[in-house]
Amino acid sequence: MIRLQNLNCTFHAGTPNAKTVIRDLNLTVGAGEFVTIIGSNGAGKTTLFNLISGNLLPTSGKVFINGEDVTDHPEYKRAITIGRIFQDPLAGTASNMTLEDNMMITYKKGFKWPVISLNRKIRTYFKSQLVNLKMGLESRMKENINTLSGGQRQALTLLMMVLSNPDIALLDEHTAALDPSNAAIVMDLTTRFISEHRLTTMMITHNMNHAIAYGSRLLMMDAGEIVIDVSGAEKAKLTVPKLLEMFSNVRRQAFENDEVLLSAG
Amino acid sequence: MLEGIFVEGLIYAIMALGVFFTFRILDFPDLTVDGSFPMGAVIMATSLTGGMHPLTGLLLAFCGGVLAGFVTAAIHNRLKVPHLLAGILTMTMLYSVNIRIMGNRANLPLLRVDTIITHVTAATQGLIPADWASLIFFVLVILAIKFALDVFFHTDMGLVFGALGNNEQMVKVQGVNPATLKLIGVGLSNGLVALSGAFAAQYQGFADVNLGQGIVVSGLASVMLGEFIIKSNRIGLLTLRVILGAILFKAIMYLGRYYGYYINMTPNDLKLIAGVLIIASLAVTNYRRIRGKAGTAA
Repeated sequence: MIRLQNLNCTFHAGTPNAKTVIRDLNLTVGAGEFVTIIGSNGAGKTTLFNLISGNLLPTSGKVFINGEDVTDHPEYKRAITIGRIFQDPLAGTASNMTLEDNMMITYKKGFKWPVISLNRKIRTYFKSQLVNLKMGLESRMKENINTLSGGQRQALTLLMMVLSNPDIALLDEHTAALDPSNAAIVMDLTTRFISEHRLTTMMITHNMNHAIAYGSRLLMMDAGEIVIDVSGAEKAKLTVPKLLEMFSNVRRQAFENDEVLLSAG
Repeated sequence: MLEGIFVEGLIYAIMALGVFFTFRILDFPDLTVDGSFPMGAVIMATSLTGGMHPLTGLLLAFCGGVLAGFVTAAIHNRLKVPHLLAGILTMTMLYSVNIRIMGNRANLPLLRVDTIITHVTAATQGLIPADWASLIFFVLVILAIKFALDVFFHTDMGLVFGALGNNEQMVKVQGVNPATLKLIGVGLSNGLVALSGAFAAQYQGFADVNLGQGIVVSGLASVMLGEFIIKSNRIGLLTLRVILGAILFKAIMYLGRYYGYYINMTPNDLKLIAGVLIIASLAVTNYRRIRGKAGTAA
């Protein structure tokens, strides 16, 4: 589904400020997998998403989606198969347009022709989908998006993403800006939609419990590399202390390797 | 005089609708307008003196404006030039192009040619006075354009235009190329502006290459005045208030021209008035916003 091959990304390459954000990264995510990604700030999680979605181009390496090399495809072309949700609840919707207009815009991916598709049939369909959110939004379809709360907007963004029928969902800390109860609601909807629509999902989170509880595979990133990759039964047995221990082991090893190199030199 | 205000207001309202499209919906401050407005006038005058039917002239003017908009959008999209500079480049180049279109002259009178206005007054002769005939004609024209725009903004493409000015990232995530949308949007907007210029040339009886100087400012002033008249988010009312704003703007300009001498004002001061109107509108909006925030905090 998603295959990253020897991916490198360096900001300000060739200047004294050069900073390598993604380092020789190889990753294959199979169809239907639900991958959670954790890592400290600056580990390269969001950059990884930017490289997959085409918002950023890699310094070297290749990106394959559904077996096709999309490294040179612009973001809007890749977006046909990718649905992406950001941390900022304002990022996924147009604030001063109505709810139904927003849903209409995101309903179909790709170029829009000057034809009117928003008719009674589609309104009924949207209404039936909004009922699933259990937020009473189905009676507010003519209201502006900016009258909605952050949680409602994020839930709606999630629904709109699913309705646009992508193969892949990239969720970038999409519950981090919400209060705990709204975050729980949005997280519930997320797991439900992912299984209903069999989406291949990658989810960045800061919450270790979420990373362990959700998904079929867990990645930990550090300094532009994937340092931990567990799945299946091993992931099911994971706990927060165990994860922390694995992380410190990995780091100690890296440190010792550096020491060996230095003393050898 | 009263019909004059309305007719001129209605003609300029077409231009103001174009300015509204770029400034308010696309969030693309487009200065091409200063060049595409006289371009419409110039194409119209050249077509009429060349013996063409006024409707053909109007169509050509519209197409000319669309092309001018395409140039601006292409400069912005391809070379990553900021929109203001892209518009200024096109506007400046159009000055020379417009003189070329008229055959190396700076103006072209339309004295003994049939314009769309003479067609209309001839058709309604004996029924209604000529002034009223052209007023009714322009009311119908602006209503047709307004209706077409309202329908357009309800289409799938029109809705994405709304989202583009609001949240460009959302448009990309939906698999639409923002560059293509900007090309279409800025093109259509300048098509409207050129159409307005074509009507203005026929109404005034001449085309002049300097006709467009400061026109984008008067368009923007009309848009802002309209925003004081009606508060809404519905597209039908948004376009309506642009038209009302354009008429109000023309009325203020008429007052300045005819009664301004009481306070030692000359017609040369009108551009200053237009600028001051915009600054005043911005100041009032700003004041309201600050007060509104203070109100909610308390």
